[in-house]
Formats: sequence, structure tokens, C-alpha cells
Amino acid sequence: MMLYLTTFPYQDSSCIMGKREVQIHFLTLPVLFFSVMEERKSTEETPRNNALAQRRSKSYRQSMRSCVEATHLTYTSGLLTALRIPRSRKAPKSCDITKQVDPDQVALLVKKEWQLSYVTPLYQFRHTQLKSYSKQLSAFMVSEKQQGLAIEVGQELGFKVNFSVVLGLAETDKDAETVFIQILSKQVFSAKDAAPKVVWSGWLTCVNGDLDYLRSLPLEFVSLPLFCTRGPESLTVLVKTWFEKTFDCCFGPLGINSTNLQWLASLWTGCHPTINIQYLKLVWTLPTLPPMDVTYTVHPQDAWELWDSMRQVDTTEDSISIDEVTGFIKGLQSHFFRHFRIDLSAGSLMQISTALGSSHHSGKIKIASPNYIPTILQLLTECALLKMPI
Amino acid sequence: MDDSTKHILQRLMRRIPSQMLQTMLGKWAHLSREDLHSLDFTQPKWVLTEHLLALCEENGLRVKHITELEMIYIIENPNQGMWHGFQLLDAEEDAPSIELTQFKEQFKANLTELISHVSIKIKKHTDEAIWIRVAWGDNFTKPYHLKPTYVVHHLQTPYVFVTGLTSKYKPLLNQTEFCHTGLSSGHKIWLYEGRSPQWTEPHRHQRPSDEAVPTDPNIEKEQAENTENRLQMACEAFGDGTLPQLQKAVYKLETKFRDNSNKTLTGREEPFRGVVEFASTNLLESLRHCVSSGMASTPVTPLLSSITQKGRNYFVITDKGV
Repeated sequence: MMLYLTTFPYQDSSCIMGKREVQIHFLTLPVLFFSVMEERKSTEETPRNNALAQRRSKSYRQSMRSCVEATHLTYTSGLLTALRIPRSRKAPKSCDITKQVDPDQVALLVKKEWQLSYVTPLYQFRHTQLKSYSKQLSAFMVSEKQQGLAIEVGQELGFKVNFSVVLGLAETDKDAETVFIQILSKQVFSAKDAAPKVVWSGWLTCVNGDLDYLRSLPLEFVSLPLFCTRGPESLTVLVKTWFEKTFDCCFGPLGINSTNLQWLASLWTGCHPTINIQYLKLVWTLPTLPPMDVTYTVHPQDAWELWDSMRQVDTTEDSISIDEVTGFIKGLQSHFFRHFRIDLSAGSLMQISTALGSSHHSGKIKIASPNYIPTILQLLTECALLKMPI
Repeated sequence: MDDSTKHILQRLMRRIPSQMLQTMLGKWAHLSREDLHSLDFTQPKWVLTEHLLALCEENGLRVKHITELEMIYIIENPNQGMWHGFQLLDAEEDAPSIELTQFKEQFKANLTELISHVSIKIKKHTDEAIWIRVAWGDNFTKPYHLKPTYVVHHLQTPYVFVTGLTSKYKPLLNQTEFCHTGLSSGHKIWLYEGRSPQWTEPHRHQRPSDEAVPTDPNIEKEQAENTENRLQMACEAFGDGTLPQLQKAVYKLETKFRDNSNKTLTGREEPFRGVVEFASTNLLESLRHCVSSGMASTPVTPLLSSITQKGRNYFVITDKGV
């Protein structure tokens, strides 16, 4: 900080200050400039029902202020935006996830439907403090209940919270380890020594997050942008409130837009040779009065042959491009059009599902097969990072 | 009156809304006028129920009388459950129509042959429909009256509507003969699923009615002719005015994939298999809007207009046709 001292002699009688006053001005110049990180703009199509709270948490804002001030939000190079949203992905390889992750923990994640949210980086979150967090969260829940804020059926005797780490999901060394949270409670009328039941579970994860972004985060922040929850909404709200208070972060709903649903449909269809997807179901909603749902269930082998015909010869086995994905969906739409003369792109793709998993536009995901978890989580981590306000 | 009968009456009383009670009981005609007058309909329902129970005991009313009351209520208010409509095939045009009493006997005889403990009630409502109530039991237990099946057959039409039929008893009902006008119920096509046991053929008007919207002479609609054409085709295909409430239509596609941009798949011999399901709270309304707003290209494909023309909502589409 540099100080400038100036003195202004006031001798005008009309002036308020009659005598000599010394006014001291402080000018602050940020001495340190963080290297300009790649501008983060969530400029993919703005989701239609976007009710993003643009509030940024205070400490995050202060740390990022220098960077943000140095660059302008109005500076949007089309090239930069194109780099952000991937135009190609690696083809999912079936991997035995149980080699990396404890099978019991894998069982906690699969075959259940999760509601997705994004969360901004957590300030001073420590993986070593999980036991303390468990106690803090359960104390918070009890106090909220006593205040009458928890809108839960008052049958539970008390909540027990369990924070644990799921090792092995992180792909790069910049990914933070996944944290799994369970809320257990005992029912009032259960037997004395009955084990408490899990009433809510959730997990925070980051799989193959954007390396440039993760490297640019200050050291005190841990980024686990994808938050999956399952259980009563009132408990979800409680957990989010505690996180927001403790780690100065900000949650928001994460939907899965039509493009990502198409990616998921293609990725899963591509797995058919290795594991039978049994069916490919796509649901569109058309904006008629009253609204109409069109469900198109395709035979798996036929779907796979259509997908295979889209795979261009010159691309490598490993990567899939967005053109192939859109071509695949367009093929299905045109076959539909040939019969019904209804253009499905007048509506929106709401849900896709196969035996490997299902996904809904409102931000629900269900992974049925553990072999493709990393690919799906990587896609979802990316969605979460893109959706976050800077 | 035994406990189960009381229970049936209590459940029924809970179902019937208070404002309809008086008319229902009046129509029922099993209570004398004095008894009916003695019921105070301003009291809370549970008090009324107790009073009614006492009256029924006095009059020695039994289950079959209670079920009559239920039937009256359902006939007046059919829009409660889900009705599944069927179209009976093999209608023989010159089959002699039989007397209602004969039909009743035959139906009862047929059904009791298949399952010994059933309770059947057949009633003719005005001149248009026959209502049948079936309470199912099995070889060892008495009929269970709390989950009856109702069947409505509209005379002069090949349509039959059923509600409350579980898959357990479906084959039994299928086997009984709908001998009236010689229709065989063995060949049924699932026609429709909706809230009311009626299928009205949507009207086909040549021109939709002009809207009474005052048009400013200075406003000229660019696409007026196209919009008009689309609306006309939509109404021709699906009907005008209020449409019957259809909820679902299912198409099983077994046609070959043919897309000029995709050379690989177009040459395939095997069909591109899939199932398409359209669902909406009022499907015909949605489809009509789809056509009139331009989401569907005109002329309307015969696949969609078949729903109303053929009166069906399940189709298998092959390369040879519907």
C-alpha cells in the first residue's frame, strides 16, 4: 500500500473547513497479480429454467477478485468458449471399478437415483477432519430441530451423521477424494438394539475435473463440484445450509441439458458390445396443449448398429465427437419423422435410459452398472464446473 | 346384518359425497318414505351412517341391497376410476338380438361355471347401456365386495368398458360370452384407457367453425392460409370440438430404416425395431394441436389418424402397412 499525503490550503471563506486541513488519501494497488487463468465463462446455452443465484461467497470472491478485475467479463473470445465445452470425449472403457474402489462403497453409489447439484469450492475443507464434521453436522441438525426449523416427521430419536472417504474415484492428482455422507436415525418404535437406518445419503465428488481450473484455485480451497443427494428434501436443505455456513460455499441445482443427455445416450449405446444395454429409451416432451410425452424405445442391437454407422472411419477408436452424437440422435428422429411426420426437435429431450443407467433433465442420474462410473462422473463433474458461477 | 356387511356400507357411505347422499338414497328405494324422512342430512356423515345402519338392520337389508346402492352411485358418477375400453370383434350383423333377461341368465350361468363364488348384478341403464357388477370370490371364499369390477356395454356399439379388473380375473371375464347381438368377447382389442366409460366418435366437419374474434382490417396475417389449412387437416384427422379422453397410444415399429444420409443402415434387410408411445392427459387434443401448430407436417400421416378412424390405440407397423 502506498500512502499519498496531500495538503490543501483552504482559505476561501465559503468553504466549510476554515482552517488548514490535512487530508490523507489511501490508494491501494494490488501488488500481486495472479497469473491470468483461463477465463471461466459458463456460456454454454443458458438453461431455460435457470434460477442461478449469482451470489458468490465472500472469501472466494476476495481471492478471485484480483483475477477477475484484471480480465473483463465482456471479453469473450469464441475460441475460448469452444474450448470449454468438449467437442469430443474419450470412449468409455469398461473397467473393473472394484479394483480401485472398495466394492462395498461402490454398492452405495450404484443402482440408486441421485439428485444432482453443483457446489462452489469449499474453503478450508480438510479430509482429515471428517470425524469432527460428522459431530458438527449432527449437532447442527439437532439445534435446527429444536428451533423448529427442521420440517421432518418427529418420529426420529436423533440423527447420527457419518462422513467417510471413498478412495479411488479421483482420476487425476488434482481431483479431491470423494466424500460420502450418511445420515442415520433410529425410529421411535423400533426395537432397542435395532441398527439405525440410513434416512439420507449424499456424496461430493470431482472426477477428472478441468486441470487448468483446479490448478488455479488457491490452496485453501477444495473443489468437489458435484453433489449427489438422495433422501428427504428437508434433510438435503439442512446439509446444504451447514456446508454453506461452515465452508463458505454456494449450492445450486444442476440440470442435465439436452446435449448432455444425448452424450449419455450415445456413450451408453456404445457400450452394447461389452454389456447388453437391453433397451435404449428416450423421452421427449412436446409443447402441445396439453403437453405430450413421446417415448421411443429402441431395440438395443438396432440402436448399436445405428450408432456404429455414425462412427466415422477416420476418428480414432478412442474418441467420440459431438457430430457423431448429434448424428445418432438425428437418425432416430428422422426414422420417427418418416412414420409420424412429427419433428421431435420441436420438443425437448427429457429423459434417457438404458439398463446401464438412466438420466433425467431435472438433474437425476442413476448408474446401474459400476463399470462405467468414471466416464459418467467425468461428464457430470464437467457439467457442474460449467454451471458454477465464477 | 353381519360385520362385513356393515363394513361395506360404512365404506360406501364414506365414498359418496355428502351432497349426493340424499338423491342416492332416494333412488335406492329400499327405505320407506318415513325412514328416509327420519334421516337428518344436516348431521355429520358418521352420525348419519350410524343412523342408516340402524335403519338397514331394522329392515333386514343384506349385502345385495347395499351393492345396489353402490351400483347406483357408480352409474351416476362413472368418472372415478380408470376405464379400459375394448372393441369386440366378429360382430355378426344378422345375429338375432336376445332378450335382456335371457342375456342376464346366460352371462351369470357362464361366469358361475368358471368360478363358483361370484356375485353378479346386471342392470340396464336407460336404453343405452348394460351395467354389470361382479364381485369375485374363489372356490373357498365368499365374494369380496370391496373391490368389484364394473363392466359397461353400450348397446348398438361394439364397445365394452371395464374398470377394477385385476389380471387374476381378466381371463375369466374374457371367456364369458357377450351373447348380446352375437358379439364374441374372445377377440378384444384394447381400445382406450381413460376416465369415462364412453367412446364417442369424434365429429368430422369439413370446415372448422369460424372464430368470433374481431379482426382489425389493418392487420393481415401472413400465414393465414397455411394456418387455416393445418387447422382444417387437424380437425379432419382428429375431430372437432371436445374429443374423447384418450391417454395413450402405442405403436410397435417393425419397418426398415431408410435414411438417405445414412448409407450403411439403409441397406439393412432387418427392420429397425422400436416401440413408440404417445402419452398425454388428453392425447387427441395434443395431437390435434400438434398438427394445427405445425409441429407435425401435413398431410396427417395415416398412422396418427388411424387412432380415431379405426378406434384403436395399439398398432403394429410393418413395411406392408398398419
